[in-house]
Amino acid sequence: MSTEPIGLARDLAPKGVMRAQVGQTDLAIWRSTNGVVSAWENRCPHRGMRLSHGFVRGESLACAYHGWHYDCSGKCNYIPAHPELEPPSTIRPNIYSVVEQAGILWVNTVADAKPVSLPNDLIALRSITLDCNLPSAIDAFKAAAKVDAALFNGTVTELSQHPKILSLESPSGANGIVILFQQPHPKSVVAHLLAKDVYQTNELVAVSRWCESVRHKAEQQ
Amino acid sequence: MTITLYNYVLSGNCYKIRLLASLLDINYETIAVDFHPGQEHKSKALLKLNPAGTLPILVTDGHVFTETKDMLTWLAQHHDQSNTWWPANNSDQLTRVVQWLEFSSRLSATIGELRLNSMLNKAIDVEAAKHGSKICLRELESHLTEQRIKGIQWLSGDNPTVADVACFPYTALSPDAGIEHDDYPSIRSWLHALRSLDNFLTMPGIHELHELKSTQKISP
Ligand code: FES
Repeated sequence: MSTEPIGLARDLAPKGVMRAQVGQTDLAIWRSTNGVVSAWENRCPHRGMRLSHGFVRGESLACAYHGWHYDCSGKCNYIPAHPELEPPSTIRPNIYSVVEQAGILWVNTVADAKPVSLPNDLIALRSITLDCNLPSAIDAFKAAAKVDAALFNGTVTELSQHPKILSLESPSGANGIVILFQQPHPKSVVAHLLAKDVYQTNELVAVSRWCESVRHKAEQQ
Repeated sequence: MTITLYNYVLSGNCYKIRLLASLLDINYETIAVDFHPGQEHKSKALLKLNPAGTLPILVTDGHVFTETKDMLTWLAQHHDQSNTWWPANNSDQLTRVVQWLEFSSRLSATIGELRLNSMLNKAIDVEAAKHGSKICLRELESHLTEQRIKGIQWLSGDNPTVADVACFPYTALSPDAGIEHDDYPSIRSWLHALRSLDNFLTMPGIHELHELKSTQKISP
């Protein structure tokens, strides 16, 4: 399993908690009040409840069930039922590598997260979930890009060789979007969209709507 | 002027009124109605007040309101000095507020019904409600994403209005109906923003976000 894009960095604000699936691993991803992002197995060391239901308390994540707190290194630092106790340092969730790059959060559950390298003139636009398999999603985006080439100033060329990235550009390279595909489940795909920074706001809104029409087609196949 | 809310604590529609009243710091009284299992909203006394047999009911001097949207509108019109929660002086924004107030009824009719099915076994067409809920959440996600792209945080503009209050409860409570927010990042951000407002009020299933003071110091 290579490094997976799991969402837009901007969609996880300080004090935010989200859930993501990478390979077989269910993850709780959270951002501390000071902005530090952590990706942990979605399982509280106490009784195994989901950490993604938890709350951010400053630089710790508090489990929703019995309130055990874990700091950004994963160390349990507070147990409400035993406030005087210094929790043993062995109590910690499984921690994974997560980095922020190109406005995207990337997670690796087996090694260090190494994002694929992307051009630096992209802005992360949105993540959208499609209820279909990966080939249907990719085909639908490819087909729609040819039909709706106006979004790319005319004709479209496909650049990326990466199996889970679609890079669509105008011949001049001035306009274009990059779509990173994540497959949390066999029948569900998340498309993370990045657009060249030349688009105006109304054009970005048009690209966002375009994704929804692509999803409509992809789900009908 | 007294304001009386006939209230059921687990009802998302009743919560809309309590939430707006809290955000606008409005004083009111509540009368607890035994919606489940007592079916008190269908009792003779309450049917006399509201022939539709629904909750909430809001009674103020001279008015009996039985539609949640009207209650929100009336409360904001009469109790918001800032004139922003019902932006009467901004007709463009007001049009959008009305549009999203209408949309909130669709959330109640889909997620709200699905939640009643999960929690109180109400007999409904579950598949239709699931499908309808998904369509509503996707519409909301799409709109909030476009707002975010334009740099606008709330449903109708740069400030929260009764439309945000009306759409918030059933969206936030969708996990009660078995629908998580994982697929809806813009909805998550909007829920987070609403829960961060001063005087935000919780209900069972919707927690507060702010720091728990008790975690800093708990007496033995
Ligand atoms: S399961 Fe997390 S604190 Fe008990």
